[in-house]
Amino acid sequence: MNSMKTGIFFIILVFSAVLAASLFLGPSVINPFAMDGTTKVILFSIRAPRVVVAVLMGTALGASGAVLQGILRNPLADPYILGISSGAALAAASGIVLGLSVFGTFTIPVLAFIGAIVTGGIVGILGWRRGGLWPERLLLAGVGLSFLFSALLMLLLSLSTTEGLRRATLWIFGDLSMSDWSIMPYGLLFVAGGLAVSLWRAKALNALILGDELTHSLGFSPHRERFLLFVAVGLMTAASVALGGMIGFIGLLVPHIARFFLGSDNRFLVPASAVLGGALLCVADLIGRSLIPPMELPAGIITAIIGAPYFLYLLRKKNVLSF
Amino acid sequence: MFKWSVTAMIIFIFLFPVPCRAKTPERIISLAPNMTEMLFALGLGDRVVGVTSFCDYPPEARKKPRVGGMSNPSLEAVVSLKPDIVVMTTDGNQKAFEERLRSLHLKTYVSRARRIRDLAKGIRDLGAALGVREKADRLAADYKARLERIEALKPAGPKKKVLFIVWPDPLIAAGPGTVIDDAIKIAGGINLAGRSIAEYPKYSLEAILRDPPDLIVIGPDMREQDSGSIRKLARGLLSRLRTLPVVKNHKVFYVSDDLYRLGPRTIRGIEELRRVMDE
Amino acid sequence: MSSASRSMILRLEDVRFSYEKGEGFIEDLSLSVGEGEFIGLVGANGSGKSTILKLGGGILKPLSGDILLWEKTLHSYHNRDRAKLISYLPQTLDASIPFTVEELVGMGLYPYDIPPAMTTDDALAMVGLTEKADAHVTDLSGGEKRRTFIAMTLLQGAGLLLLDEPLANLDIKYQIELIRLLKKLREERNISIVMALHDINIAMQFEKVVLIKNGSILGSGPPGDVLTDDLIRNAFDINVKIVRNPHGRAYISYEDNF
Repeated sequence: MNSMKTGIFFIILVFSAVLAASLFLGPSVINPFAMDGTTKVILFSIRAPRVVVAVLMGTALGASGAVLQGILRNPLADPYILGISSGAALAAASGIVLGLSVFGTFTIPVLAFIGAIVTGGIVGILGWRRGGLWPERLLLAGVGLSFLFSALLMLLLSLSTTEGLRRATLWIFGDLSMSDWSIMPYGLLFVAGGLAVSLWRAKALNALILGDELTHSLGFSPHRERFLLFVAVGLMTAASVALGGMIGFIGLLVPHIARFFLGSDNRFLVPASAVLGGALLCVADLIGRSLIPPMELPAGIITAIIGAPYFLYLLRKKNVLSF
Repeated sequence: MFKWSVTAMIIFIFLFPVPCRAKTPERIISLAPNMTEMLFALGLGDRVVGVTSFCDYPPEARKKPRVGGMSNPSLEAVVSLKPDIVVMTTDGNQKAFEERLRSLHLKTYVSRARRIRDLAKGIRDLGAALGVREKADRLAADYKARLERIEALKPAGPKKKVLFIVWPDPLIAAGPGTVIDDAIKIAGGINLAGRSIAEYPKYSLEAILRDPPDLIVIGPDMREQDSGSIRKLARGLLSRLRTLPVVKNHKVFYVSDDLYRLGPRTIRGIEELRRVMDE
Repeated sequence: MSSASRSMILRLEDVRFSYEKGEGFIEDLSLSVGEGEFIGLVGANGSGKSTILKLGGGILKPLSGDILLWEKTLHSYHNRDRAKLISYLPQTLDASIPFTVEELVGMGLYPYDIPPAMTTDDALAMVGLTEKADAHVTDLSGGEKRRTFIAMTLLQGAGLLLLDEPLANLDIKYQIELIRLLKKLREERNISIVMALHDINIAMQFEKVVLIKNGSILGSGPPGDVLTDDLIRNAFDINVKIVRNPHGRAYISYEDNF
């Protein structure tokens, strides 16, 4: 118990350090005690929102990954496997092609969110049978839809001759640079909501990993729990795609990294994956914007470049993954 | 042996694009939008029998049969149009595709012009290869004269810092090695993104605030095609930069896509850029 | 009958059930489990043993008939309340995610807000896995894995354990150890156990067996009365004979050559 307290303290310490570094370091170092007007604008309306978006997205993806690996009983699942991101990308790209601006400056994120939620709904309907969601059906429906939407997106891109659209696809591959405060409350609402449900149902999630019969035997309704958690994952993933496109790696591998240190109990794993995902994306974005200014490198690429070797190192060093 | 083969290869490379005959081909396929524009400018529009799906200028080009995209045209479509020559560029077409065409005994012409300084020579070489040398020389002379005119009229005062935005969300600027970079320099400005390491860098908002431009140019503004979406997309960006004098003083300009391709419209693009810089 | 004097924990009365629409798989089945009973549910593969256990555990709902837990309809219980009274352990136990033994056993406390007196350590000690507390479930042998889940079930503290083929995939030594363990637990904690099994020789050692064929009960009572030549032949569709060793123990002898 004492070591758990030390662990939590350590995590909070590291997380705060990451937040501070992301805010005050970068292409130029900001001294919080001597700021001029421009510096204030940079800190409060450029860096702060993108740090918050990085934390929200990383948190959402890390937590969704851990939850999804549990409800699908598959350690290789990640939030994008359900096709939610492909649906979001397709909706956003269609919006750009049609020149829609129904939601003003929110148009792309809102379309992405709608695309994600609709896709999640379709996956849910396809995964539904005899009064509940079935993991294998969900997984296959997600993979199938994902292929379909990716193909439709490719079709759209290859039929379109507009140079702008090609650049628009950059958005799909993860962009935090344009983050701003206006959209944050909605993102926060969905991510916090999804995270709260995931934490509230963490025990049931543990039980679900052991199979539906044991879940039932331990006093949970497997179908109800899986449905709640599926909705939570859908909301978190949709919000994260809408906030900044697709960022790979975090959803799949951050839960495994967290498992190396804290074990598999989702009551600790879900929050740890959330915090670790948030911190990792923050650091990746910090590196991406500081390395070769004024050019920025996409955070998603940096995430994988620093995350994957670390994961492989852990895999070599700590022989705890047993599948 | 090695030396010999290298020499042979160099000779081969230099010999190849040089035209052998100056007879005008009857059936021309263009595999790049800027080459299509040059062909039309040279008065060869009637002889163009195939273009890519990106060839949208001049408007007549859109009525020509399509053979696919720039990087992935359909070999079958190209061959079935029985071209006398296929006009390509090193900027966007695949070398492998050109080799494939030659292996099928189709004649190709590959333009190496990529920058504004290559433009006049580029059109002259093309004209020579296609048997319209006189017309090409006239066009080249016109381009040269107009360029010199722009360069001679250096704007008064210190050089203006220009940020040319090719896509507002996420923010992509025109960087070094691009026609736009050349155009900004020729028009007497400094390209703010000119020292990036990529041609089209994702540009940092922070960097704009730290080192603000004197004017922001956003393109392409093609209402008929994009239904003005570039302006809508740019709204978010501009509201983020609203504290900057460049935005407050309305020094944000939308321009056409004239500078997006190295071709007959490029000079007009520089003139347009120069006009907005003087405003 | 002795069942009248004992109080009944679980009663299945005229239960009908089928997986697909149409023909019933379980027809008019009645079965009761008294306090402290250790019942072997014997039958061939596909005879309905698992289905009966799942009906008893509330995982499947009957088409008709009653299932009563402490004389109250099973499905009227709240999930968590039921979990404190019955636990069901499926035949295949798997964790695709590497929980530690301690984490997995600890899940037995999930139905409780205020944990009962027994701790995870107690449960591990009972099944002899104290040393393995930090091992990953995915690294355990079949026997250890089985005992881990049994420990979880014990921690859950239910008075009735429904175990589906717990002896499957265990070699004979672990089979005997597990049965001894369960018997000891029954003595110490007065729990009732219903266990599905298909090894007739092991069933011979039970106090009470229920022989199942095609979803109905062929016989129930002490093995000497139920596991007779005729009934076994009928239930398993094989040619067998009961023989006795000099100590009077009954064994099954296969009469046909392979």
